[in-house]
Amino acid sequence: MSAEGQVVSCIPNTSKMSKAKKVLEEAREIQNPELDLADKGIASFEELPGLLNMMNITRLTLSHNKIKVVPPALANLTNLEILNLANNNIEELPLSLSSMPKLRILNLSINRLYSLPRGFGAFPILEVLDLTYNNLNEKTLSGNFFQLETLRALYLGDNDFEYISDEIKNLKNLQILVLRENDIIELPKEIGELVRLRELHLQGNRLTLLPPEIGNLEVTNKSVFKFEGNDWVTPIADQLQLGVSHLMDFLKSETYRILYGRYQQNKPQVPPPCIDKAKKASRIR
Amino acid sequence: MFPVNTQDLSPDVPNLKPFMASDLYHRRMANSKAGGLKYLQYGVVGSMSLNNMLCTRCCEGFEPNEKIVNSAGELWHQECFVCAQCFQVFKDGIFFEFEGRKYCEHDFHVLFAPCCGKCGEFVIGRVIKAMNANWHPGCFRCENCHTELADLGFIKNGGRALCHECNAKLKAEGLGKYVCYKCHGIIDDQPLKFRGEVYHPYHFNCTQCGIELDENAREVRSRPGFAANDMNELYCLRCHDKMGIPICGACRRPIEERVVTALGKHWHVEHFVCAKCEKPFFGHRHYEKKGLAYCEIHYHQLFGNLCFVCNQVIAGDAFTSLNKAWCHHHFACSMCDQKMNQKTKFYEFDLKPVCKKCYEKFPNELRRRLGKQHAAQQRT
Ligand SMILES: [Zn+2]
Ligand SMILES: [Zn+2]
Ligand SMILES: [Zn+2]
Ligand SMILES: [Zn+2]
Ligand SMILES: [Zn+2]
Ligand SMILES: [Zn+2]
Ligand SMILES: [Zn+2]
Ligand SMILES: [Zn+2]
Repeated sequence: MSAEGQVVSCIPNTSKMSKAKKVLEEAREIQNPELDLADKGIASFEELPGLLNMMNITRLTLSHNKIKVVPPALANLTNLEILNLANNNIEELPLSLSSMPKLRILNLSINRLYSLPRGFGAFPILEVLDLTYNNLNEKTLSGNFFQLETLRALYLGDNDFEYISDEIKNLKNLQILVLRENDIIELPKEIGELVRLRELHLQGNRLTLLPPEIGNLEVTNKSVFKFEGNDWVTPIADQLQLGVSHLMDFLKSETYRILYGRYQQNKPQVPPPCIDKAKKASRIR
Repeated sequence: MFPVNTQDLSPDVPNLKPFMASDLYHRRMANSKAGGLKYLQYGVVGSMSLNNMLCTRCCEGFEPNEKIVNSAGELWHQECFVCAQCFQVFKDGIFFEFEGRKYCEHDFHVLFAPCCGKCGEFVIGRVIKAMNANWHPGCFRCENCHTELADLGFIKNGGRALCHECNAKLKAEGLGKYVCYKCHGIIDDQPLKFRGEVYHPYHFNCTQCGIELDENAREVRSRPGFAANDMNELYCLRCHDKMGIPICGACRRPIEERVVTALGKHWHVEHFVCAKCEKPFFGHRHYEKKGLAYCEIHYHQLFGNLCFVCNQVIAGDAFTSLNKAWCHHHFACSMCDQKMNQKTKFYEFDLKPVCKKCYEKFPNELRRRLGKQHAAQQRT
């Protein structure tokens, strides 16, 4: 146990706690629907009396605190559209969050999530989900995760994925998909069905091949594809040297289709993990 | 195609050779004066030979002066010369012979003559055997247009007998194709519509230059405003375009109703559409980009001017950076949600903006990695 981990709700830092209370009181007075509680040393929701009754709030920002537990009653804030819990110590989430009717943006980046609650994929209108820098992998996502059909942006960078489910094709509205610095060995061809995708971040994985279907993604002046830091087979690496649009054209070609088929018979060796995940802050328990 | 007169046995007439092939038929035909029928021949046979002669039926002798029936060399008592079926003497002496037996007209018909598949009457004379039945020539007609088929031949089409023309027409319909109004052939390529009918384009020539027309030919109303189309003329595309009628930039056809002019072209109102969703603008505002027109939603979706946070079209100034745009209200640090402006320095993290304060709160391990990557990018 680290020293950080021992600072639990019972012994809060009094000076910062009073700051948080002040913010709450102010917000109640002026009926401010946007609540900024970033970096207030908050370790527990118990330090925020009355917060869960502030039904009018639409944004709650609690980033850079020490929160470990998210109370199920947070879901009572039914007008909440933006919930920012970035850079806390959250290890588990309540199932109730997924029922929040107006939640559009949920930032859970830089936490200690090893799994998501069952039924997590039930958010009715979630558009942006940031799970960057946690400890998630394909086995610990909830079974219905890819039912989040309304998602525009999904941030899964700095996690522990080796594979991505082909169910990703259900995320029809996805424009941004970040898979940077996981341990991804193979991508599903279904990513090629995400017709609205305009940002795809694949840097720092263990990829050697791309499904030819990736070539179906539209390359425009508004699209960004990041492929660096993988162990690409030579033909892909060569095209990347020329540029992303060359690679995308190459993926569509008959040559690559045949090449890909051959590689499927005789798969390139899977490269070892390239990042020492043990050093991640999200691993601290 | 099936021949009209087949050699098939009609299934409901047992043991009958094809009528045309029967002895009876041949004899009938040979004796044209008798109208194809056999008549009694009465004769009085001389007494000297009478003793040796016997009735073919009862094998008795004949009385002198008795009227004896002589048919093809065989002799009968008058009362023995009867229908093999009803044992009545032949009315008017008319009988039909079949396989050595003689029948009255009625029984012959009942036993052997075919019935018409349409009217149910006996078919005497020419029998049309087709579609597994027998027909009077006048009863076997195209099921679509009712033309007599006996001498034209027919096509069996889904259990129906059709003339060639109707068959082609129905076949074309089944294939989703047209039949040329002039030659009745199926039009395999694009049909040419002219005065309300469809044709092979090559049956016509351009009214202006006389060139043989293709499917791009244009029908022009020579008296605009008149509903009747029998004054219409055909022109080749080149001559038509020289005539100054606005051509729709989408369908390349003349615009005779309201013209929309945009992007340097003319359009049918319903053909001026969003390049992305293809819905007509119908007078709603459109946004132009690189020679294409877009509806508001798709213009902003494609060209990034929807706010990343509220996903609404940005009215007024937009902050654009990191492949995204933000409205005035929502341009903020992605970690702490503090508002930023043009002057605020921020870091990029997965193409999200992160203010300096927040970046410094990132785990050391992450910051080191990002620093290394940044340095590597600077080198390339
Ligand atoms: Zn009879
Ligand atoms: Zn008839
Ligand atoms: Zn024709
Ligand atoms: Zn002409
Ligand atoms: Zn048009
Ligand atoms: Zn549109
Ligand atoms: Zn906005
Ligand atoms: Zn910030």
